[in-house]
This record gives sequence, structure tokens and C-alpha cells, in this order.
Amino acid sequence: MSTIKRSVSMYSLQDEYLHGRMTLPDIIKFLDEMGTEGIELISDQMLHNAPHVSDADIAAWDALMQQHKVRPICNDIFINTCLYKNRTLTTRESTALLIDELKLANRLGFHLVRLVSMTPPEIIEPALPYAEKYDVTMALEIHAGMSFSHPMTQAFVEVMRKLNSPYVGIVVDTGIFCRRHPRVSTNYFKTLGANQELINYIDAIFASGIDVKQFLREHNGKRPDEWQKLIKNEADEIYSIFADGYENSKLSILDEYMPFIKHFHGKIYEMTEAGEEYSIPYAEIVQYLSKKGYDGFISTEYEGNRFTLPGKPMMEKEQVRLHQICLKKCIESVQ
Amino acid sequence: MFDNNVFIDGSFKNDVHCESLHGFQLETYITYYRGIPLSMVHDVRIAVDGEDVPRDKIRFTVDHIDWFTLTELETVTTFKWEYGDKATVFIDWPGGLSKGAHAVSLTTAIRVAYIPVPFEGSKTRDVIVK
Repeated sequence: MSTIKRSVSMYSLQDEYLHGRMTLPDIIKFLDEMGTEGIELISDQMLHNAPHVSDADIAAWDALMQQHKVRPICNDIFINTCLYKNRTLTTRESTALLIDELKLANRLGFHLVRLVSMTPPEIIEPALPYAEKYDVTMALEIHAGMSFSHPMTQAFVEVMRKLNSPYVGIVVDTGIFCRRHPRVSTNYFKTLGANQELINYIDAIFASGIDVKQFLREHNGKRPDEWQKLIKNEADEIYSIFADGYENSKLSILDEYMPFIKHFHGKIYEMTEAGEEYSIPYAEIVQYLSKKGYDGFISTEYEGNRFTLPGKPMMEKEQVRLHQICLKKCIESVQ
Repeated sequence: MFDNNVFIDGSFKNDVHCESLHGFQLETYITYYRGIPLSMVHDVRIAVDGEDVPRDKIRFTVDHIDWFTLTELETVTTFKWEYGDKATVFIDWPGGLSKGAHAVSLTTAIRVAYIPVPFEGSKTRDVIVK
């Protein structure tokens, strides 16, 4: 059995929360019932006026954590560099926002914050003394579409290697290991008018063992004519753009980053009836990570909610539960 | 992709006042998965029976205390639009919408730091004014 642990990201239950079907206490109870060991919060989502949360709300959070088994594992934070319409925040302004987030994470009992992709890398070094003071690690999300080959991600990795601090690392989103284009996304764009020939074309790229980004790289960064000819309407164009948001990397892409990996987002788009994710090979991933000695958390991050068809019920709770069962099985079956 | 969040069902109200203005209003959730300062609301668009309402006819509030024009909204960094909180969009439409059926559309767009295009959601609902 592997020592990898399970958590759930609050991204997964956003529709349940938004429409008031589940409160934060309901969600925490739900996690406890599944034997989930950790919660990944998005403080901007569930705590009012974050990062300047009231003492009363912090006390309520503390009480929830005391009453339940689930532990605070990671807080997903965002630096609002686009706060103003007419300019981008300066490095000092952005650093100040990051410091506020580190303080909040500390007060809530988190030792890890997930920095969203494209977070300016130049704010990491000036914030490092605060990360040390508040005992909160800053880790950039490596997300499909903006992963290791992206210039902003590369710039962060450079800072990370230079600082070489336990307080700076990465969070890997398993959406970079899509062996097939997610079917729920395909169906969603199909209802918007994406044509089957284009869908087949993209599916074939994934079936050949690469992804759209790698395919474009092989074609001098441009869509070949045969692809362009298949784009007959706006939905086809949007589908083509979104298809670049899934990556089909080999697990070995992580080899050199293992010492810096603090956490995983276990992305799910669709859990099948067989209890597996349609695109992402979890058994393989857990096996690989165990072999590499990873003993942190994998947080279920359900993104199929984005692709729920109009009039169809949201399946957030069911999908999260199925993935937690899948992870548990994968973890227990590691030799 | 955030269409499910926009223009809450049953929230249309005709014949309402906003300060000295008269018109109609509707409610919406944020087209995002977290709360943001109001200045990051990139755009709010309303159309009635397919016709766009001029931007300066729109007022926006998250608390029914402070109402902002869309131009003013761009400067509001003190207050947030929280995830799960309903914002009210008021449309200056003297006399209110006329009797009968109307198609009212709402589009909300949020500026996001890590994606170059704003997160948008749209919904058109048929409303009946009696």
C-alpha cells in the first residue's frame, strides 16, 4: 500500500455550494464520510472578504476543523494582478497581496498555498521571508495548457531552482496526463455545433500518443490546412482552442521535478461506470508516484461541472465520490 | 461555460426604483468560481428583445446599499462580489418594461489574471409583464 493521501478541492463542489445545496459544514461532513483526509480550500470562494477574513469567520473555520477529521491541506490563492482595467499591478503591489494570503493561510492552519498558473514569478523571492515566518509553502500550479513548456512556468521554475527553498515548489494538475480528449468536453462543444470530423481529427492526435501542443509544435506552431478546413463555425474554432487545454505528457516528465512537488490536483472530467477517469490513468499515476517516494496528497478536482449540458443534473458529489473510491483503490493496490 | 450562474430564474422584477431612476431589475451569480473585488467585473450587458441596452443605463449592486454605474464599478476595490452572493442589475427604463412577453438577456464578464479573455456567461429568459 502506498502512503499517498486523499483530499478534495473545493473547485469540485462549486455548483452545490453556489446554489446553496451544500454549505461548507455540509461539505466537510461529506468529506469525513468518504474517509477523505484533507480539504483543499479556495478561500476566495467560501470565506467572505478573503484574504481579510473576520475573526468570527476564522473562529467558525477553526471550530469546523476541530469537530471533523478532515485536515486543511492546501489553500488555492490568486493574485489579482488585473484588479484595475487600465493597468497591471506592480511587483510590489502583487507581493503585498501574496503576503496577505500567506498570513491568512497561516491563520486557517494551511502550510501550503497553490499559486495559480501565470502568477508573476518575480514576487516569490520578496515574499519568501514571509513564507518562512508563517510556515506556508508557495507552490505554482502546473496546469495543462500552461504547463512546463509555458514561458511563465519556465520563469517560475527558474526562480524555484535558484531559491532552492522548502517553501517554494509546484502543484501538478494531472490534466497534463490526458490519454484521450475528455468526452464530456467533446459532447459539450458538440451541442454548441462542433462538427464530428473535427472531433475525430483531435481524437486522432491524442490516440497517436501526443497532444495538441506537441502536434502544433511538429507543424511549425500552426494548424495544418487539413485541420483548418474542418473549422466550419465558431464552435469548431472554440473547440480547437480548448483542445489545447489538455496535455498528453509521459509520467516521466515529472522525474526532474519530484523534489519540488508539494501536492497534486487529481483532475477529473468524467468518472466512468467502471470507476475510472475517462482520460487520465490514475492507477498508473499512483504507481509511478509511489515508486518515486511521493507521500503527499492528491486532491480530487472535478472539472466536468463546466461541461454539464443544459437541463442535465450536476453530478459533482457523485463524481467526487467515485474518484475518491478510485484513488483509495489505486493507493491500496500499490505493492 | 458559466451560463448556469447567470440571470437567476424568477429574479426579474419590473416597476422598481433605483435612487431616482425607474425601471426593471434582475439578479445574477458571478461567472467565476470565487469572489473578486468589484473592479474586476469587466462588463455587464443587457439586451431586451434582441436590442442592446446602452451601458450608461445599467446600475450594479451587491448589497442594495451602494449602487454603481459600470464605469464607477471599475474603480471599486473596497467591496467584493462574493461567490454565492446575488448581485442585482438594475436597468434605467422609465415606466418599466411594457406589458406582454419580452426576451431579456444578461451577459456578465469577469477579468481573470491567468486567462487573457474574460470569463463570460450569458442567459436569455422570457419574462411576462402583466
